[in-house]
Amino acid sequence: MEAESSGRGQETSPPPDVLCAGVSKWFRDFWMRPRVRAVESLDLEIGRGEIYGLLGPNGSGKSTTIKMILGLVTPTRGRIAVLGRRPRDVATKRHIGYLPEESYLHGFLSARETLDFYGRLFRLPTRIRRERIDRLLAMVGLDAVGDRPVREFSKGMQRRVGLAQSLINDPQLLILDEPTSGMDPVGAWQIRDLIRELGQRGKTILLCTHQLSDVEDLCDRISIMFGGRIRAQGTCDELLTGESASLIRTPPLEPEVEAEVRQVLARHGVGPVVLERPRRKLETLFLEVVEKARAEGLTTSGAKSGGDVPTFLRSRGGDGDGQPVEALSQPVAVNATLLDSLMRNPSDANGS
Amino acid sequence: MPTGRERRRISRRTWIRAAALVLLAGFGGVALFGPSVARAAAIGVFAMAVGYVVGLKILRRLLAFPRGITGTAGAVLDEAVRMRSTLVLLILLGACVPILPLLLDPAERLTYRVQFLVMWNLGGAFLILSLLTVFLACGSICGDIASGRIHMSLTKPLDRWEYLVGKWLGLVLYNLLLVALVGIGSYTLIRMLAAGPAADQADREAVDRQVLVARRAVPPTRDDPKAYAEAVNAAIEQRAKDDPEGFAGDRARAVDRIRREFDGQWLTVTSDMVSTFVFRELGTKGDTSAKVQLQMDPRAPNVNIDFSDVWFTMSLNDRPWPVHDGEAVTQKLPSYARHVYDLPSSIVSESNELRLRIANKNAVPKGETLATSIMFPPGKGLQLFVRTGGFEANFFRCLAIIWLKLAVVAAVSVAAGAMFDFPSAVLASLVLYAASVGSDFFRDSLGIYNVASDTAWGQATERISYAARYAVEGRGYDMFRVLLGFVTDVLFFIVPSFSSDSSITRLATGIAIPGTAVVTRLVLFGLAYPAAFGFLGWVVLDRRDLVKTGA
Repeated sequence: MEAESSGRGQETSPPPDVLCAGVSKWFRDFWMRPRVRAVESLDLEIGRGEIYGLLGPNGSGKSTTIKMILGLVTPTRGRIAVLGRRPRDVATKRHIGYLPEESYLHGFLSARETLDFYGRLFRLPTRIRRERIDRLLAMVGLDAVGDRPVREFSKGMQRRVGLAQSLINDPQLLILDEPTSGMDPVGAWQIRDLIRELGQRGKTILLCTHQLSDVEDLCDRISIMFGGRIRAQGTCDELLTGESASLIRTPPLEPEVEAEVRQVLARHGVGPVVLERPRRKLETLFLEVVEKARAEGLTTSGAKSGGDVPTFLRSRGGDGDGQPVEALSQPVAVNATLLDSLMRNPSDANGS
Repeated sequence: MPTGRERRRISRRTWIRAAALVLLAGFGGVALFGPSVARAAAIGVFAMAVGYVVGLKILRRLLAFPRGITGTAGAVLDEAVRMRSTLVLLILLGACVPILPLLLDPAERLTYRVQFLVMWNLGGAFLILSLLTVFLACGSICGDIASGRIHMSLTKPLDRWEYLVGKWLGLVLYNLLLVALVGIGSYTLIRMLAAGPAADQADREAVDRQVLVARRAVPPTRDDPKAYAEAVNAAIEQRAKDDPEGFAGDRARAVDRIRREFDGQWLTVTSDMVSTFVFRELGTKGDTSAKVQLQMDPRAPNVNIDFSDVWFTMSLNDRPWPVHDGEAVTQKLPSYARHVYDLPSSIVSESNELRLRIANKNAVPKGETLATSIMFPPGKGLQLFVRTGGFEANFFRCLAIIWLKLAVVAAVSVAAGAMFDFPSAVLASLVLYAASVGSDFFRDSLGIYNVASDTAWGQATERISYAARYAVEGRGYDMFRVLLGFVTDVLFFIVPSFSSDSSITRLATGIAIPGTAVVTRLVLFGLAYPAAFGFLGWVVLDRRDLVKTGA
């Protein structure tokens, strides 16, 4: 069914923004012996305008997959096309925004200089660069501290700089690796809003996160990886709709009425009852997939979860980073006007 | 509203600015109203400081052009300016340049002091800037890869080769700025020192006419080159006939020995002979202002100290010189010392060549029948210098060559940074740097069994054929040594030879660095070597998986 729908898609709709076909990655050691099989026969398709969630425990191959899509790592086998081109193609990268899982910034540059540096790599003219930098700094709430060197920033503030730089080229494809990690609750909320808003504007977003509630809220489709393989893939509805049971939802019932309903149901009667598919929580599904994979003896090259999975799930609440609030100005809420102004994109800047 | 911390920062910055301003004003005051030496020093320091600030501004403006290469280069520049390791080396450089003249003994002759200053100022600056380039390049690239910053850059529209070229360009431009500053500082100091008191008139003249000038060295040639070539060939044939087996066994050495014998004979003025040395193509025809100097380093190989002085008479273009009352004046010079005659340009400029005849006037030692011969060691024993320009142009060319050499160092370090982690990259760069600086020494000590061919290809094939012969003869150890020589040849074909580049020595001895030398080095050091090393680095980086986690 999956193959059929994609076959139809090729005829009617544009090709997917991200396409991975049979992609494997083995890392080799010094003597060129394959040591770690990070990704195995991965098939992935992300259509235009989709918000796609990539889930999996630590070391399941998510980051390697993202790095292959970004052209930082070359796949051992298989084919990857990003926006219809090779991932290493420079022309592709003009339309990609990337927020890595950690803040990889030049500590000696200020926030403003950092954004200016990446703006220059995107070949944005000075005027547009300045304008966007001002708006982005205001958006992530760093406009008051924009001239301080990044190395003096807290982790959360550095994440904000990272987020701002990922949007400086008004990307078509946005790859966000753990966007809310290290963010305070307000920042995390703001990022969720931003992702939703960008998705509505037709941007393609690949979201890689451990915040399962975010994924459930935001993503059109998800994949759950374990041991370098995709163990579950589909829309949230597809994956989270149970097949084994039915749920009847009614207004609150008196005990005798309930008993009567049971009787009626027992006699296959029809009543004013609403039948619904029960919906599991994504957390439950995630745990199931991981447990099943482990039961099948699949190994992961990353952290051995052992009994940690529940802990990992419990720790999902955004923890504050201890940054004094006074240093951050109140972040500007993500709204349509702001995004409009960000995306007022001269045609020469991105060559589109 | 700035926070409390912000306010403190601002005030600290203001203090630094104010202090810098006061310092600059002080220097300006000394430069305008101070005593002459202090004034020159203040002007030098002032010019260096202003040059640094203004140069940096200009480079930043240049690199603001929004492209991948310029953007990367601009980031290197920012990194270089703000990193502590560069600051340490810059302070070392800043201290090294002006402190050096203070270490010189004022009792020493001014000529030597000026030469010492030129040699060590520029040589030291080259060493420090090379180290700075190595650490900066390796630190920048290895730091990018190790920290993951490279993930941010390479996910932008920046190809991996552009990334490497950008790093290199940033280093080269930063070096351009620093070399220019070293130039300003050094030049001020050299002029300051040279303006000071000299030991005597000869010392003064030596400084002005042999050090702070640009002269072209013209070697002597034979009166009749054709006859010489025939004589050498005849001697070679004779040797081949006399000892056919030995000659065939090591032909290259035998020929070399015969040539040396002939040269030695020619440069020896025996007691009963008048020797003729012709300096051709002086390029002074019709140019009466050209200054021509004759430099000799004559030796009288006599153990008796009383007879070690050299006595002789000279004639220039068949006219005796120097003349007193119509008679040639006999010259007396101590052996093993260098002497420079300023020749009257009227004699020289009549034709494009100078015929120098030297007659041996040495005394006959007791108990001997012949006077001691006068010998001129090949190479620098007998040379003619034609003044071609001033010190400034020469100094500028020397700086340009230093900068171009640093471009090679930058390319080597960038390539190493793309291949290895930081310690290995620094080590590899420094090994290559040491090999290129000491290439002549290494070549001499490792190049066993020198071969006759002049071309690299010829030498390589010659060595291989020797090795094959030794292998057939079963001389394993000799074969190993010849192969070692071959490996050395290959190694020094790859490594740029900095030691054979004598531009700093040339500058210190007042020898002109020809413009063609700058051009060839621009092509070789500025383009060919960086391209080759850069390509090597790119090949590795292009195939590298950029993951932070070790696989």
